[in-house]
Amino acid sequence: MKARELAVGLRTAKAPGPDGKGPDDKGLDPARSATKSQEYSESIINTIREPLIALDQDLRVVSVSRSFYEVFKAKPEETIGKLIYDLGNKQWDIPRLRELLEKILPQKSTFDDYEVEHDFADIGRRTMLLNARQIQRVLGKERIILLAIEDITARREIEKGLETARKELKQLTNELKHTTRMKSEFLANMSHELRTPLNSINGFSEVLFDETFGPLNEKQKKYVNNVLTSGRHLLLLINQILDMSKVEAGKMGLALSVVSITGLLNEISMLVADLVSKKKLQMVLEIADDLPDIEADELKAREIIYNLLSNAVKFTMEGGTIGLRAKRAGPDILIEVWDNGIGIAPENMDKLFEGFFRVDTPFSRVTEGTGLGLPLSRKLVELHGGKLGVVSGGLNKGTVVSLTLPIVSQMAPK
Amino acid sequence: MRHRALVVDDNPNNLMLVKDLLEAADFEVLEAETGTQGLVLARTEKLDILILDVRLPDLRGSEVAKQLRLSKETRDIPIVFVTASVMPEGRDEIKTIANTAFIGKPINTRTFAKEILSFIR
Repeated sequence: MKARELAVGLRTAKAPGPDGKGPDDKGLDPARSATKSQEYSESIINTIREPLIALDQDLRVVSVSRSFYEVFKAKPEETIGKLIYDLGNKQWDIPRLRELLEKILPQKSTFDDYEVEHDFADIGRRTMLLNARQIQRVLGKERIILLAIEDITARREIEKGLETARKELKQLTNELKHTTRMKSEFLANMSHELRTPLNSINGFSEVLFDETFGPLNEKQKKYVNNVLTSGRHLLLLINQILDMSKVEAGKMGLALSVVSITGLLNEISMLVADLVSKKKLQMVLEIADDLPDIEADELKAREIIYNLLSNAVKFTMEGGTIGLRAKRAGPDILIEVWDNGIGIAPENMDKLFEGFFRVDTPFSRVTEGTGLGLPLSRKLVELHGGKLGVVSGGLNKGTVVSLTLPIVSQMAPK
Repeated sequence: MRHRALVVDDNPNNLMLVKDLLEAADFEVLEAETGTQGLVLARTEKLDILILDVRLPDLRGSEVAKQLRLSKETRDIPIVFVTASVMPEGRDEIKTIANTAFIGKPINTRTFAKEILSFIR
């Protein structure tokens, strides 16, 4: 109990109180002046939000702020005049506080942000920041110590929570990266494993269909053609799934070149002309004469237009009309593929881009498709820096797919 | 003169398909199902072209090719890789080896023999 002795020792050496001040106080009543200055100090102390303790040089409490009573659930009669360590049933006998008041403060006279953690019986474990000032009274030799206590328990808890959250987030990010890598590896392997048997299925049925090693009868030829058609469909699916996952993983690059969009649109429309005439459809082309060449990945641009035109063919009844419009729209080329076919019910609009969505009508069952053409086309348009949207008047009211392709690519060359 | 081709593929169906297509185009075809077998045949037989699967059970196709490039007798044989792999990593591996070409699976049976022929010389 060295500190206690020290405090007591100091007390015996104490100079007389404020009332004992000399007569050279400009004739003011020393007692009144002292009371006034005490009131003044206390009103300052009480306006401070944080608990504040004023101690005399014996470490006895002279005054505390109102918030001290609130925070530490203390009563004035148990506080004023007591040795700080004895407060609240000696709850304040904190080794770190002793260190501050007895060792550090006598040497430094001020101390900032001294962190003390303590388990209080009444209010639980608290982390506090202590700021201390040792103030010499102007004339007396007496000093007082101002001790401001900032309760940072909640702040520390938030900081700890943040740190934990940060660690968890980092772990999650790593897991996500790992999962993404696993997913692309899985897809690459899957694609390889599926292509190997498909090579046999498509290859042998192609050779049979071509009658390279001898003629087939009509039925055999029809059957082997069915095998070939299904095999190619399966291959298209595999390729589109792989492309979707590449786009999603940000691994789909663009091989940009200067493309004649007029030439491309005309070529693709000729490519679908066969399908159009087979279904006895009308195809209306409205391609502006003044379309500039664009910067694009030609293969992907072809794929987009082909997907949309073949969709228009698929979803339009025999005898219907489909069309392709293209014009310049500021920095972009605006392309619209339209039809007067089965349209899209409002409730199905959102599902169009989910993948594998096929409009559920008796008509759709006879159509061939992967359900990935539209979502993949949108991704490919977006990769070029354009937009793709679908408008339909509703069921059996036809469909318009609009897309933009920038004339000058905004994408950084790879 | 008939062209001599060695086909290395561990999938017997794919091996048969390539062999039949080449024979229909008047090639003489030797077959191997592993990289090691392929290396032995490439060193002992006179070949006009080597058709290699990239994923083989023992060696990678690229490994077989690299070994053949090391010796004088085999370093000039054109090599065509046939692979179902679609990842660019696989293609980069192949690009670094001289006198090689690449055909993706599934192959186009209507143009396959012509493509192979174009890689000879």
